[in-house]
Amino acid sequence: MANGVFSRNIGRRTVIKGAVAAGVVQFASPFIHTARAADIVKIGLNDPLTGTYAELGKNEQIGCELAVEQINAKGGILGRKVELLVEDSTSADTGTAVQKGRKLIERDNVDFLLGNVNSAMAIALGQVSNELKRLHIVTGGHTDSVTGSDCHWNVFRVCNTTRMETNSVAKTLFTKYGKRWYFITPDYAFGHTLQQGFEASLKAFGGTEVGADLSPLGATDYSSYLIKAQAANPDVIIFLHAGQDMINALKQAVQFGLDKRFHIAGAQQELEVLNALSPNARIGTWVFEWYWKQPNVPHVAEFVAEIKKRTGGKVPTARHWFGYASTWTCALIANQEKSLDAVKLAKALEGFKLPPEVALMPNEPFYRAGDHQLMPSLYVGHAVESGSEPEDLFHVDEVVKGTDVALPVSETGCHMVAPS
Amino acid sequence: MTQLILYNLFNGLIIGAFYALMALGLSLILNLSGVINFAHGGFLAIGGYLAYTLMPHIGFWGALALAPVLTAALGLMVERILIRRLYGRDPLYSLLLTFGLAFMFEDGTRYLWGPATVPFAIPDWLSTPLSSDFFFLTGYRMFMVVLAFVAVLALFLLLNRTRLGIRIRAGTLDLETVSVLGVNVRILRNLNFGLGIYLAGLAGVLAAGMLGLQPTIGSALIMPSFVAIIIGGLGSLPGTLMGGLLIGAASGVVTVFFPSASEAVIYVMMGLVLLVRPRGLLGEEGRF
Repeated sequence: MANGVFSRNIGRRTVIKGAVAAGVVQFASPFIHTARAADIVKIGLNDPLTGTYAELGKNEQIGCELAVEQINAKGGILGRKVELLVEDSTSADTGTAVQKGRKLIERDNVDFLLGNVNSAMAIALGQVSNELKRLHIVTGGHTDSVTGSDCHWNVFRVCNTTRMETNSVAKTLFTKYGKRWYFITPDYAFGHTLQQGFEASLKAFGGTEVGADLSPLGATDYSSYLIKAQAANPDVIIFLHAGQDMINALKQAVQFGLDKRFHIAGAQQELEVLNALSPNARIGTWVFEWYWKQPNVPHVAEFVAEIKKRTGGKVPTARHWFGYASTWTCALIANQEKSLDAVKLAKALEGFKLPPEVALMPNEPFYRAGDHQLMPSLYVGHAVESGSEPEDLFHVDEVVKGTDVALPVSETGCHMVAPS
Repeated sequence: MTQLILYNLFNGLIIGAFYALMALGLSLILNLSGVINFAHGGFLAIGGYLAYTLMPHIGFWGALALAPVLTAALGLMVERILIRRLYGRDPLYSLLLTFGLAFMFEDGTRYLWGPATVPFAIPDWLSTPLSSDFFFLTGYRMFMVVLAFVAVLALFLLLNRTRLGIRIRAGTLDLETVSVLGVNVRILRNLNFGLGIYLAGLAGVLAAGMLGLQPTIGSALIMPSFVAIIIGGLGSLPGTLMGGLLIGAASGVVTVFFPSASEAVIYVMMGLVLLVRPRGLLGEEGRF
């Protein structure tokens, strides 16, 4: 046997280098094929397809794909065929997201940019699209500043601001469940602005914040946070996480029996999360941004049926709707204005109302002129162990109008600079 | 306040026991074969998903018993077909191989079971707290600690009392001499790899009961395991065990004072250990 078989010159340094590389695994991502053609209108989607937000990004993509198919069936944009180009932004590496956003605009020459789920990426991509003068619709990044202090003339947003989400549910929590709140907040833009929103409401109502802890994004163990929260003896423990973090936190809270001693609540909740929890962990008071069961709203049933065909029978979530509504917005406004000029389209989108077959919700959602924020309806309610159907996991108690819960434009911090 | 610190210290030890379970598997493979197994997290995820698939048919306990064994069988195959070929070469080769495997496992689980987190239910009587004061002592977590300790104890007995174990330990010290003495080193390494992967599979099933089961569950847990090995000292299994418990406890106590640093603290500890005592707490001088 060759002597080399036994050579084991592996060292501490190698192990450490390796450990660094292991960290990198989480940020690397697959390459996604793109195509180019001159007579095609291109819509670029920049969203996470790997990591914590992979599922949310993927669902937005499915919504976009359905919209593109429908748009093409109805004659495309300006009579030209529409094509969707998708890039994986990763879930946590903003540098990659920006680089891929630039690639979509500069190399693939997309006419519209959509994305991103991650708030920090949405802000960064907004800067890129603004610099390169492309119409950009933020699909699912919620932090306030996207349509606040970081607003741009070319950037619009379909999903709600975090402040709209907290405002819609805060009153219910305060009057029904108590005035002493404890926050467990993920340590990044989305979590911070949600907490600020709740704090503003709590102050206005005269309640007490008994504690607040920041947990790192992507944390797996929440037990130490839960121990601290219960020691403070609040009325309501508020979880402000998203995706996998929310799943891990709720799962552990229920195993600790905290749901039997405190009211569990938060702002944004998603069907993806409730689906992933075992029935006993589907608890708490939350806000949904869109819900698939709206028997009295026209066109919702057709949308649900179409999405189910693409997901192997799973109902659409808010994420599918974000992708769907964003993509349709591009087509509707371009066909209305008979142009692809970003400046012209951005102007026309101010005050633009989504037609019922795209809105899929009550109260005629529209893009507000001052900050480019969509004013949709919000669904305040509670999670249920099981509903009338397997995926009916949320009970809507109240539908709130976006215009009633959004800050007035003057308070958003948005100072729109006209295109030069 | 003291109570809060004690609670978190104790709770941290529980989490630490879990890190140690995963790190021990990594450490076993590293010590004997010199392979830094990046795919360990991938094996962990596969263990969890296999249990998820088996559970409707053979129940939680059946899945807990069978899934790690199946994962280990996969590990034996991977070692036999791929990793074995790279033993004689620079460690960088096996590092790159397992690095690639980690991607393949993650995307493979995503392809087979979907990107969505799946609900993994544990028996009801395990998921309730044992007492309302010590609510963090749920049946499941106690069970995890007990199982981690049983696994560690069994591992140490195996290594110290059985022929296989003694050969593994001897091989760790001087593989060439062990080979000259007539031990089949190929089989030894193969079994040792399988044993390490068995621990990964077991950790996977346990993790699925505590966290959401999704394709990236492994990559989220592998970093603390590496840190546990480096702090404990390369080449020392008791060191790895100690490293795991230490980072669990540290992360728990830091949450009391500075919660947003609860994850960063383990890397700070690793940095300190490398500066002050580069071989790690129980690592042998000069070996690595």
